[in-house]
Amino acid sequence: MSLPRIGQPRMTIASVAFALCCLLSTARLAIDAPTPSSLKTSNREIARRSDQRFSALKAALPERGVVGYIGEPGTPALADYYLTQYALAPLVIDHSSNHALVVGNFPASPALSAPLDDLHLVKDFGDGVLLFAPEDAK
Amino acid sequence: MSLALPAFLCLASGFLLVCLGWSRRGLIVSDYLLRTSLSVGLGLGIFSVVFFLSLLLRVTHLILVDGAVFALLFVACFLLRARATAANAVPQIKENPDQPAWLDRFLTAAFAITLCAALYAAVMRTLAYPHGDGWDAFSIWNLHARFLFRGGANWRDGFTPLLPWSHPDYPLLLPAAVAHFWSYLGHDSPAVPAVIGFLFTFCAVGLLFAALSILRGRMPALLGATALCATPSFIEQGTAQYADVPLSFFLLASIALLCLHDDREQAGYSNNDRTNDDCKHNAPSLCSPGLLVLSGLAAACAAWTKNEGLLFLCAIVLARLIILIRREVSPKNWIARVLHIAPLLVAIVPALLFIAFFKHSIAPPGDILSGHNTMLHKLLDPARYWAIIKWYFKGFFRFGRWLLIPGTLVLTGFYFAAGKQEHAKPQNGIRTSVLALALTLAGYFAVYLITPYDIYWHLRFSLTRLLLQLWPSAIFLFFLSVKCGNACGEHSRVADLP
Repeated sequence: MSLPRIGQPRMTIASVAFALCCLLSTARLAIDAPTPSSLKTSNREIARRSDQRFSALKAALPERGVVGYIGEPGTPALADYYLTQYALAPLVIDHSSNHALVVGNFPASPALSAPLDDLHLVKDFGDGVLLFAPEDAK
Repeated sequence: MSLALPAFLCLASGFLLVCLGWSRRGLIVSDYLLRTSLSVGLGLGIFSVVFFLSLLLRVTHLILVDGAVFALLFVACFLLRARATAANAVPQIKENPDQPAWLDRFLTAAFAITLCAALYAAVMRTLAYPHGDGWDAFSIWNLHARFLFRGGANWRDGFTPLLPWSHPDYPLLLPAAVAHFWSYLGHDSPAVPAVIGFLFTFCAVGLLFAALSILRGRMPALLGATALCATPSFIEQGTAQYADVPLSFFLLASIALLCLHDDREQAGYSNNDRTNDDCKHNAPSLCSPGLLVLSGLAAACAAWTKNEGLLFLCAIVLARLIILIRREVSPKNWIARVLHIAPLLVAIVPALLFIAFFKHSIAPPGDILSGHNTMLHKLLDPARYWAIIKWYFKGFFRFGRWLLIPGTLVLTGFYFAAGKQEHAKPQNGIRTSVLALALTLAGYFAVYLITPYDIYWHLRFSLTRLLLQLWPSAIFLFFLSVKCGNACGEHSRVADLP
């Protein structure tokens, strides 16, 4: 029969305390997890803001190449630009209006269709998605 | 059903690659868990490289290439099967007989609860955010995958300097693996990157459990895996479709395989026809080079996952060299020692050449080194050092998003309560790994010093993720070093399979 080693109770207490701290943290995982009721709205957000929004525009654009982009100002609107690129890849979307075709993305002000920066509206696809071309390309 | 074939080819290729490097047979479940976990990561690595090379060489019949890779690995495994002799049985750790039975039941229950909560959170997050959670998922990783998949012959369009925000210089393990599966499906389903992120997260847990179980026994394995599952941000990042958790998987794999190799070496277990004495006294790496090659492959996969992995790859080679040649006075012995890392370099050197080709010929220059004209000024600015030190200190306590008590404090408390492992001396694998992680952390520090971005913005949005990359490896090394339940890591050999 082996004798209990010195420090064994200390090890046991340490192991139990360690596991309890882990279980405590596990509570955060469970609490912060999305609930089944929230799934319906959250899981369509990216698709709604990218693929679905730009599906009509995508059909009107060339399959390859580079097109320009104009959108709302400010850092939060950067996500809209990134989502435009995500939806329209492999077309490259350059954040500039110096291109033969320029995508307009104005999700917060969908009615905007006035000429911008020497651009004229080619087509309004609705929901703030517009296609512009330079005035001199008329 | 259309995903069943590529999933099989991916996992089977990974499994065969692992079997090539590790031909031992054993009875313990941990051995199979380790192999399976490694198979997922390495299989995805193979799939990524195959897809990228197919794009480069304009090969359109992917299934033929995948089949050829699988067949090649199968034949190699079959031919080398003779290596799996009885002498290669996996040794099993002696569990501490003084450990109360209720403690084992309690720790098993705690692990089961934590794992279930982590699985629940991961599934719900995957369902809630099928395109990933956070900007990097759709602006970097999945965007690159779309360029590779949708681009056809013009796939290089995605690596244009016109999109600097998408970091076109980032390596392509994840995007190319995702695009490979999409090619089989015929469309870019968001389920593919979601499942890959999920797999990397839980394979990291499986790998940690298995490696600790083999090296230190059941109790440290349970505690280590519980700690990782209980780290909220690890589970969140794993399902966010970022590359940090896949990178953490490969860092852990590289370190665990290195430690397994050195443990076998130290314990006198060798493969082939070498005797234990041969192994103890002769060139260490000659004993079981397969594990070292696999360790190098995992490090190479890390470098192909993220630029931080490239830093780790350099760190682990440098650390290995330092550990091997320290205290050697004679230059003649230096050369012999340096040759011991040859198996590690077998995988690393081709990977470095491959990544160098990508960086040089396809990707535009990265952003970190773009501000070279102000770099010296930044390096000489003490305020930047102080800012980074403060954030490192804060990050040490904050990262992981543990509830009330930070995970790092929990580990520290356990260390003081339990004490250090009663080793005669720490094995080279542990020393190498600790030094490699320290060098990687120092590398992150240097990157923050010279960053062209606002330093506070950069620290705020990346430091916790960088620390998370090292977290599974840190837990692994912690439980290798701390005294914890088993009989000091003593091995007993299990019965050999016939």
